[in-house]
Amino acid sequence: MRSRRWLDLAPLALVVSASALGAAVSREPPGRLHPAQAWCGPSFERPLGCGEAGVDLLSLVSSAELRAVALASIVSVVGLAIGTPLGAAAALARGRFERVVERSCDLVQALPSFILALAVLSALRTPSRAALAAVFALTAWAPFARLALAQTRVLRDAAFVEAAVALGRGRPGVVVRHILPNLLGVVAVQLGSTGAAIVVSEAALAFVGFAPPGGVSLGGVLDQGVAAMLLAPHVLLIGGAAVFATSASMLVAGRAARSLPVGRRS
Amino acid sequence: VLEALFVALLLASLVFFALRLLPGDPAQLILGDEASPAELARVRATLHLDQPLFVQYLGFLRGLATLDLGDSLRQPGTHAMARVAAAVVPTGALAAIAVGLGTVAGLAAAVLASGPWLGGLTRWVERGLVAAAAAPLVAFAPVLTWALAVRARVVPLPGDPDTPAAGLLFASALLAIPLAAHLGRIARASLADVARAQFLVTAQAKGVAPARVWVVHALAAVAGPITTVVATQLGALLGGAVVLERMFERRGLGTLILEAYATRDLPVLEGAVVATGVLFIVAQAAGVAVHTAIDPRARSNA
Repeated sequence: MRSRRWLDLAPLALVVSASALGAAVSREPPGRLHPAQAWCGPSFERPLGCGEAGVDLLSLVSSAELRAVALASIVSVVGLAIGTPLGAAAALARGRFERVVERSCDLVQALPSFILALAVLSALRTPSRAALAAVFALTAWAPFARLALAQTRVLRDAAFVEAAVALGRGRPGVVVRHILPNLLGVVAVQLGSTGAAIVVSEAALAFVGFAPPGGVSLGGVLDQGVAAMLLAPHVLLIGGAAVFATSASMLVAGRAARSLPVGRRS
Repeated sequence: VLEALFVALLLASLVFFALRLLPGDPAQLILGDEASPAELARVRATLHLDQPLFVQYLGFLRGLATLDLGDSLRQPGTHAMARVAAAVVPTGALAAIAVGLGTVAGLAAAVLASGPWLGGLTRWVERGLVAAAAAPLVAFAPVLTWALAVRARVVPLPGDPDTPAAGLLFASALLAIPLAAHLGRIARASLADVARAQFLVTAQAKGVAPARVWVVHALAAVAGPITTVVATQLGALLGGAVVLERMFERRGLGTLILEAYATRDLPVLEGAVVATGVLFIVAQAAGVAVHTAIDPRARSNA
């Protein structure tokens, strides 16, 4: 079971190390132009070929991948950090607070998140990465809160929690020692699907023209690829493969949290 | 219905306040850095930016209620709402065809995987659904388009004006793939639950043909989960529509939002975002209506 869990992290580790290697090997900052080599195919000097105006695709794709993984990881961890305590607190408080949190989760999860991101970002001239992260965080907390709420509802009536209370442990003690460890394993599984969704949304936003400054984004690569579909199909194939590999590896990595035995140390 | 109105209002307010409260003067953004103070003042007056925020907000809400957000800034003399209305039709058609195709394909896959017809192939149908559900539209749509339009030449190239119907159908089919995959997985699981229900056993015992058992009796019983999946996928579907409109250079709400963003056409931008939200809500309401029409249990409870 333990080795299987590390296996789930392997694709993400592979994507990250391949991108780091690519960024190191390409020896030039992403986005430098070499107009003479525009749309050139893969060669020994440029292993992934060139895109619009001769940007080196290896350098562009690797740094875009690293940034996408970083953005997705940060936002999903922030979502977990906001959503889990909120959901747990709501379930423990019961009553009106519980209902309000539950309804807000429903509402936020029903919002068309891509349109929401478009609406907010359209107020900015070029969206910074911080703005992108903030927009994604607006909705990222909801699934975590929902899961924490459901799981805490089960736990709050569990026999071992009642026993702990009967034995005289105070409320904070019960939460830290008994509820949180049993909660995190369930909630952390969501990290993967939230992360994958953010990688895809970031690429889609950049594809339609909301690229972060410098245009270093997988969506930007896809946009170039679509524009040069007839001339240089390798750009589009590389961009599509990169988005797919990054999001799928995040999805698989989320499964590593499954059966996380934090609470079963005894 | 109240919640639906609330979602629309929330989206509208969000775009309104984001445009006004985030750093950067809208008038300056519209006119650029070399605008004279007189021009800036004129634009602020036409957009009511010189009034207190609260008054602006009331005016904006009144404009929404009366469907009049003022003139488009970039095409003076055209109502912003007229441009929005012209864009609703293509996006609505794209989304509606995609929902139709996706529902039929997803249900067909689920029924095929549930019934006795495929034998060993069943597992491959299920694996295909899982793989398709995990594939992001923004990644596979360009690749599939390249493969089918450039290599195989069976569909028109993006932006080809000569074959609008084929282009619309192909874009809808792409948009339908994620929906079909999600719907197929949920419908497959729900059908497996329903398979043990008494009314199905009764139908089978009466000698009803397997196709009729699955399509007429079982599918009607899982209409609830199915409409829920369609409803939860609608937001992603509209997002995908924006991506595909941009990719295929189709006119629609998505391209209108992007164009209004690029040209800082505030009234059009606000109208287009709100219209997208309304489209989303209307589609959700339609889903609920379909559910009550199909599943007799949903009617008796209402």
